[in-house]
Amino acid sequence: MATKEKILSNRLDASGKTAREINEQIRELITAGEKEIRVSNPEARHNLAVGILACVSVVFEGSVGYYCGGMIDGAELEVLGSAGWGLGESMLSGTIRVRGNAGNSCAASIRGGTVVVHGSVGARAGISMKGGLLIIERDCGYMAGFMMQKGIIVICGNAGPALADSMYEGRVFVGGEIEELGNDAVVKEPDDEEGKFLRENLGAWGISVEHPFKKVVSGRRLWNFDRQEMGLWREAL
Amino acid sequence: MCGIVGYLNKSATAEPPVGDVLFRLLTPLGRRGPDSAGVAVFGRSREPNYILRIKLGERGEFEEKGKAVGERLRPLGVVHEQQIFAEYLRVVIGPVSDAENLDREVESLADGIELVSLGHQLEIAKHVGSPANLEESYHIRAISGTHGIGHTRLSTESRVDLSHSQPFWARGVPDLATVHNGHITNYHKLRRQYEQKGYRFYTENDSEIIGIYLRDQMAQGCTFEEALWSSVEDLDGSFCYLAATASSLACVKDPFALKPLMVAESDEFVAVATEEVALRAVFPNDLQVIEPGAGQVRSWSIATCAVEKV
Repeated sequence: MATKEKILSNRLDASGKTAREINEQIRELITAGEKEIRVSNPEARHNLAVGILACVSVVFEGSVGYYCGGMIDGAELEVLGSAGWGLGESMLSGTIRVRGNAGNSCAASIRGGTVVVHGSVGARAGISMKGGLLIIERDCGYMAGFMMQKGIIVICGNAGPALADSMYEGRVFVGGEIEELGNDAVVKEPDDEEGKFLRENLGAWGISVEHPFKKVVSGRRLWNFDRQEMGLWREAL
Repeated sequence: MCGIVGYLNKSATAEPPVGDVLFRLLTPLGRRGPDSAGVAVFGRSREPNYILRIKLGERGEFEEKGKAVGERLRPLGVVHEQQIFAEYLRVVIGPVSDAENLDREVESLADGIELVSLGHQLEIAKHVGSPANLEESYHIRAISGTHGIGHTRLSTESRVDLSHSQPFWARGVPDLATVHNGHITNYHKLRRQYEQKGYRFYTENDSEIIGIYLRDQMAQGCTFEEALWSSVEDLDGSFCYLAATASSLACVKDPFALKPLMVAESDEFVAVATEEVALRAVFPNDLQVIEPGAGQVRSWSIATCAVEKV
């Protein structure tokens, strides 16, 4: 009986509530010591579970709107539907797993943690990433990894145009076709260690690796300005 | 910001009332656009007659003016229906000998009047305020039809009044309407070109140019679909727009995907909205919602044979 009550008490029905009310109730449950929270009827509302700094698991039983899990530090989020724009923006650590698709700018500027999208994502995925891992099981739109500074993006399907444009550091792995490389992006062969890393990390999320991956890194020609390479700069800017 | 929505019943039945669906889609997007709200609904075809929605003034009751304008419409064709509600005069008139110039004829009848929509099926109701205000003033939930589009506006560049609200009827083309979320940055350049060609602009709203663009492209021989595709290249800036004709609904996204737009489709219907939150408010949770990619055009048609059932 006690167990049953506990299951009921960590469930939160979001229908009819504002994003602020939902987030406040999630925080109240965390303060009360809950470690696993399930939110029903999220109805794609924005800013859900932003800024959670506790090691807690939150499951959304439906789609979420913009900026879900933004700035979290340590939480484990799971979305049983799709996510809108800016998924997990600027997160520090923790995991966000989306069963459906995610919109533009997923994992933008993340500093750490892992974002896994089992469907496809829109444009500008992992833009300006500063660490962490972004795994996309299917395809991504244009400019994934634009200006990324650190971290790893794994795209199991096809990548859109301008992939890894003007990136500083970090690595992008692509299992499918690359429509077009961005400025100063260079394709390399992953080494054995990287192959192992991919198998282990994808396997951990139940994603099978069928094709050999290509690795895309910075060509570093945009790191320093060189008058000799004016053409390259004109193209990039 | 701004919020746009669209709904098309593929089987061309008029249930549920499209006005009700549009209203329920628009309401969660009210916060994206608190300045004004509007819908364009395609109902039963009145061919060869035209449905006219005429703006009599900006705000208030215009009973007397409406009656006077109604009287002056009679030489243009047989008036089958005539209603006045607040700022609008709604007239079903026809057959009309010179439909091309009907807007000029109507607008010359009195000062400050504007033909807001014209078509065999199209009716536009729009005004400043929230979707709830729109419902209160014009009872849009009860409007039946096969498909329609809606808009909530956050004005950034131009005046907040009825004329500047959306949807916009693509003036000169019966049964073509658009709603737009975003900013057309080559608006002034295009507007100068179109004005030189003789097109008249009624507002300073950059969104008005989309309908004129489509009209001009089709006048040059493009199909509706071709005009939509070429707009991806010819319009600059950020945009997601919807265009609806008597038998179709289409969405167009700019090449940088700077504005959101979500699509939910089943065998029976297609619904589009700026945010998934709108679709989730109306449709069950298991309906899949996807976002078209950068530079994409998608369109859906009602089977022409089914239109008769309305």
